[in-house]
Amino acid sequence: MVIFAVFGEALTLGLVSGPACMAACGPVLVPSLLSEQTGFRRHLRFLSAFLGARLLGYLLFAAVAWEIGALVSMPLGSRVLLMGAVNVLLACVLFWYAYSARQICGSSCSSSKLVKIGTTKESRVAGAAVLGFLTGFSLCPPFVAAGVRAAELGSVTQALLFFIFFFVGTSVWFVPFIGISCVARNQAVITVARMAMALIALYYLFLGIAMLMGRKAYGL
Amino acid sequence: MACKACTPRLAPAAPRSTFRALLLTLPIAVWSLLMFFHPGVNTDPKSRIAATVTAVFMTVLFFMMMRTGKTYRWRRYFFVTLGFLFPVGFIYNLILVRGTMGIPIEEMIAGRTPFCFLPIPLLILPAALTKTIIFPGSITASRYAIAGMMGLWLAITLVLGKGWCAYACFFGGIEEGMAAVPKRARIRKIDPRLRYLPWAVLLATMLLSLALFDSVYCTWLCPFKAVTEYVTARSTIGIIQNGVFILLFAALVVVLPLLTKKRTQCSFLCPFGAFQSIFNKISAFEVKIDRTRCKSCGVCQNACPNFSLSKESIAQGETLLSCMKCGACVDACPHQAAVWHIKGTELAWKPERARLMFLYAAWAAAVMFGGSIIAQGLVTILHFLA
Repeated sequence: MVIFAVFGEALTLGLVSGPACMAACGPVLVPSLLSEQTGFRRHLRFLSAFLGARLLGYLLFAAVAWEIGALVSMPLGSRVLLMGAVNVLLACVLFWYAYSARQICGSSCSSSKLVKIGTTKESRVAGAAVLGFLTGFSLCPPFVAAGVRAAELGSVTQALLFFIFFFVGTSVWFVPFIGISCVARNQAVITVARMAMALIALYYLFLGIAMLMGRKAYGL
Repeated sequence: MACKACTPRLAPAAPRSTFRALLLTLPIAVWSLLMFFHPGVNTDPKSRIAATVTAVFMTVLFFMMMRTGKTYRWRRYFFVTLGFLFPVGFIYNLILVRGTMGIPIEEMIAGRTPFCFLPIPLLILPAALTKTIIFPGSITASRYAIAGMMGLWLAITLVLGKGWCAYACFFGGIEEGMAAVPKRARIRKIDPRLRYLPWAVLLATMLLSLALFDSVYCTWLCPFKAVTEYVTARSTIGIIQNGVFILLFAALVVVLPLLTKKRTQCSFLCPFGAFQSIFNKISAFEVKIDRTRCKSCGVCQNACPNFSLSKESIAQGETLLSCMKCGACVDACPHQAAVWHIKGTELAWKPERARLMFLYAAWAAAVMFGGSIIAQGLVTILHFLA
C-alpha cells in the first residue's frame, strides 16, 4: 500500500509541476512542431517520439545518478557543467533541425516522415527523439524535486518507477501541444518556425558556453 | 479607353482651402489645449513654454495634413521629433532620479523600472499561466505603471491596429529620421524572407520568457537600451548584454536605415511590431490598392518604409499584415491607386473621409502619447539652455 501511495505522490508531483515542464520544453517543442507539416497523426507521432525519448533521458539520468550516488548530492559545479554541455548539444541539434526542416520541405512538403538529423542516407535518428532526450536531461526544478524524493526510496527500481509515474503526470500537460497540428501551414509559418528555432538555439548555445566557462547567465 | 465617369472617386489631388483646413483642424487644436493646459499641469514657465510649442507644433502639422492632402511627410516631422526627444527627456529624468543611465538589479527587483510597451507580448503567457507579471516594473504605483500603460495601449491599438507603430511608438522615430537622410537607398535588394524575422523573434522571445520567467527581449535584444536605460554591467555577461544592445542599435537603427532608407529595426527585429500586426485584423482602418487604377509601377513598394507591400500583395489589391498606415504609399502613388479604406465599405467609398477618420483617431493618440514626450524633451532642453 505504501508503495502505491509513493507512486501516487509521483503522479501528483508530475501533475502539479507539469506547467513548469511545459514552459521549459516550449522553446524546443513549439518551433519544431510548427516546422512540421500539418496533420494530427504526424504531430502525435512527433510528440510520442519526443516524450518517449524524454522519458528515456529521465530514466538514464536517474539510473546513472543513483549508481554514482549523485541523484541529490551532485555538486553545484558538476551540475552547471552538465547543464552547460546539454545546452550546447541542444543548440547544435536545434540548428541542425532548422536546417534539416528546410531540406525536407524543399524536397517534399507532404513528406510523412519525421525530420531527420542528417541526411536520410547517413543517419536515421529522429530529430524529435534527440530533442526529447536532451530536454529530459535538463535539471529543471520539478525534475530536481522528483530526484530528491526518488533518492529516499529503497532501490533503484523503485526510483525509476517513481520517475516513470512523475513523467506520466507531467506528460498530461504536453497534450495541448497537439493543438499545433491545427495551425495552418504555409511557407511563411515554416520559415518563422525555423528562424525561431535558430534564435532559440543561439540562446541555448550562449547559455551553454557561459555555463561551461563557469559564468552565470544572469550575472547582472 | 476607360470611361472617366466610371472611375472611382479620388482622394483630393488638389489642396484644400485654408479655411476648410482650419475648420478640420479645430478639433485637434482643442484636444491639444486640453492635453497640455488642463489645471494642475505645466505650472512652471519652462513647462508652459514647452507645452505651448508642442501644442502649436502638433496642431500645425495636422493643419498641413488637411491643407495639402498628404500624410506621410507631416507625420514624419512629428515622429522623428518624438524619436529624438524621447531619449533626451528620459535620460535626463533617469540621471536626476538615479544619477546614472544604468539600472542595477536591486532597482529592477524593487519594481522601480519605468514600463515600456515593447515587452507586452512577452507578458501574456506567464500572466495567463501563472498570474505573474514578469516585467520588473510596478503594476499600479506611478503614471508609468504597467496597468495604466497597458490600458492606454489597448485602447489605441483596437482603433489603430499597427498604426501604433507610426503614430505612438517613441522608438521608431530615430530610424525613420536616419532613413530620411540619404537621397537614395544604397542597398535595394533585400531577401523578402527577412520580413518574417520579427515574427520569429516574437515566437522565440515569448517562449523563452515563459521558460525563464524573464522578459528575454529586454534582457538581451532591445536596441533602445543603448539610448534609454541599460543594465548595470557588473560582470562579463552584463558587458556582453550591453554590447549586444549597442551593436543592434548601431546596425538596425543607424547604419541600415541610412543604407536602405527603411525602418530596418521595425522590419527585421521588433517583436512588438509583429504582435501589433495581428491587431490590423481588428482595426477598422486599412490601406488598399485600387486595381482599376494601379499600373504596377512599384512606386508604392519603394516608398513603404517597412516592406509592407510586395508584388503579390499589390496584385491582390492589399497591403501586407505589417502595414502601419503611415500613408507613405498613398502619398507616393502617382495614379492615386493606394487609398485609405474603412473595412466593410466599398473600395471606392470616399477614401479621403476614411483618411480623415483615421487621422483624427491617430493624431489624438499622437498628441496624448507622443506630445507629452516631446514636451518633456523640450523642457529638458530649455533647462539646459537656461
